[in-house]
Amino acid sequence: MLLISCPWCGPRAQSEFTYGGDATVKRPPLDADEAVWAEFVYLRDNPAGPHEELWQHSAGCRQWLRVRRDTRTHEIVDSAPPRASPRDDR
Amino acid sequence: MTQRFRLPQGGVIERSQALTFEFDGAHYEGYRGDTLASALLANGVHLVARSFKYHRPRGIFSAGVEEPNALVQLARGARTEPNVRATTAELCEGLIATSQNCWPSLELDFGALAGTLSPLLPAGFYYKTFLWPPTPRAWLRYERFIRAAAGMGRAATEPDPDRYEHEYAHCDVLVVGGGAAGLAAARAAASTGVRVIVCDEGARFGGGLIGESETIDGTGATAWIDATVRDLAANPDVTLLPRTTAFGSYDGNMLALVERVTDHLASPPAHTPRQRLWKVRAGAAVLATGAHERAIAYANNDLPGTMLAHAARVYVRRYAVRPGTRAIVFTNNDSAYATALALQEAGIAVGGVVDARAEAELAGSLPRRARAAGLTILPNSVIVTALSPEDAPAGSNATWSASREAGIPRCTCAHSPAGVCGTTMRSRRSCRSPPRRRSSAPAP
Repeated sequence: MLLISCPWCGPRAQSEFTYGGDATVKRPPLDADEAVWAEFVYLRDNPAGPHEELWQHSAGCRQWLRVRRDTRTHEIVDSAPPRASPRDDR
Repeated sequence: MTQRFRLPQGGVIERSQALTFEFDGAHYEGYRGDTLASALLANGVHLVARSFKYHRPRGIFSAGVEEPNALVQLARGARTEPNVRATTAELCEGLIATSQNCWPSLELDFGALAGTLSPLLPAGFYYKTFLWPPTPRAWLRYERFIRAAAGMGRAATEPDPDRYEHEYAHCDVLVVGGGAAGLAAARAAASTGVRVIVCDEGARFGGGLIGESETIDGTGATAWIDATVRDLAANPDVTLLPRTTAFGSYDGNMLALVERVTDHLASPPAHTPRQRLWKVRAGAAVLATGAHERAIAYANNDLPGTMLAHAARVYVRRYAVRPGTRAIVFTNNDSAYATALALQEAGIAVGGVVDARAEAELAGSLPRRARAAGLTILPNSVIVTALSPEDAPAGSNATWSASREAGIPRCTCAHSPAGVCGTTMRSRRSCRSPPRRRSSAPAP
């Protein structure tokens, strides 16, 4: 079971968290192309290596957090509040 | 005294607490600290099981969880449990065990006829491929018998009366295995003031060190174990979990352990769970699990009386049981010489040590000690087959019938790690020099 470090609560077991999906996708404007929307809704990268993800500490403080996890080793490289990530500007 | 194969002294057993138990309807006596296997051996019982397919007679092969042969059914009413390894079942007062996979009795098993039909029963034979006679009515008749041949023991038919519980735990260091290495690691970790959990699958900490004559830091093995366990138990930051097996290691040093809380008790106290599942998040995990011996294959190495070398030593040293009256030790390394010496010390006539290595390689301290003790060493030799004492054709059941008549096993024999071993004195004649490999695997 993964040990995820919550920025507010400290390291907690994975069973306290809910997975929130890829943190790098950004919702397109409402008037965007159907193709852009289809990509946003359906298409995800499946990287072998570091992956930015959203998790919610649902059985704890209920805050959302942004976790950088290596999909090959399951290592939790980093975790931060969702807006504190340098990649948030995408 | 009914325990004819019990040594008059030694062992790590409580001789003041005699226990009676039952195996296949016969009553025997053992001591607290025994396993079912060691108590049976102390009473000269070697035939304890039948093999799955050909119903070959099977004896006690090891002294621990690696036991492949001595599977028995523990009869405890609603708590009955099939396929329990006799080598791990702790003896308790009134324990009732029965053999399984045999009919009408362990000694006379009709299923052994399958051995004569073995050319017709290929590996992986599946009963639904039985296509003759081809009518459904005939199938309904013989399906019953074919199905009865499948499976080993019997599952309990009543609802499980027990409760089970979960426990979460956190520690800085989790030590898996309470042998010499595990205890030393736990003591070293505990001395730095961190929280430690030590788990061991056995009832007693010490692992392979129990009953041995080695010394650690100038202290005898038993005294060292006792002192170390006492120190650890006195430390409030240390949790000792005996009878607890670690069965999984997951991401982030999460380990899963199962603690058998009441399985070793004759009547479990009320409001106590039978087993406890521990989920331990450890800062660091130390795996001090030790190693299992690996047997070398040769023909008929499943005859009752055949035993791993280390197991034979454990029975002599830890349980003070002679696993036979005569022995041949077969090995390809030095460690089995310690077994040969221990057997000799216990008054077992050691016919010799058959060693697959060349003479020049037998220069270690243990072979030298064995030579000095007057043991015959046959270098450059391997055992190719074990024969029954009656010189019956290989694969027959004669070993145990002879044993039963004489009341004692004709011979015991010990394997070494990755070593084979002979089963009878006669097998010595089958030793060849130089070694020649013949494909020989134990029958399923």
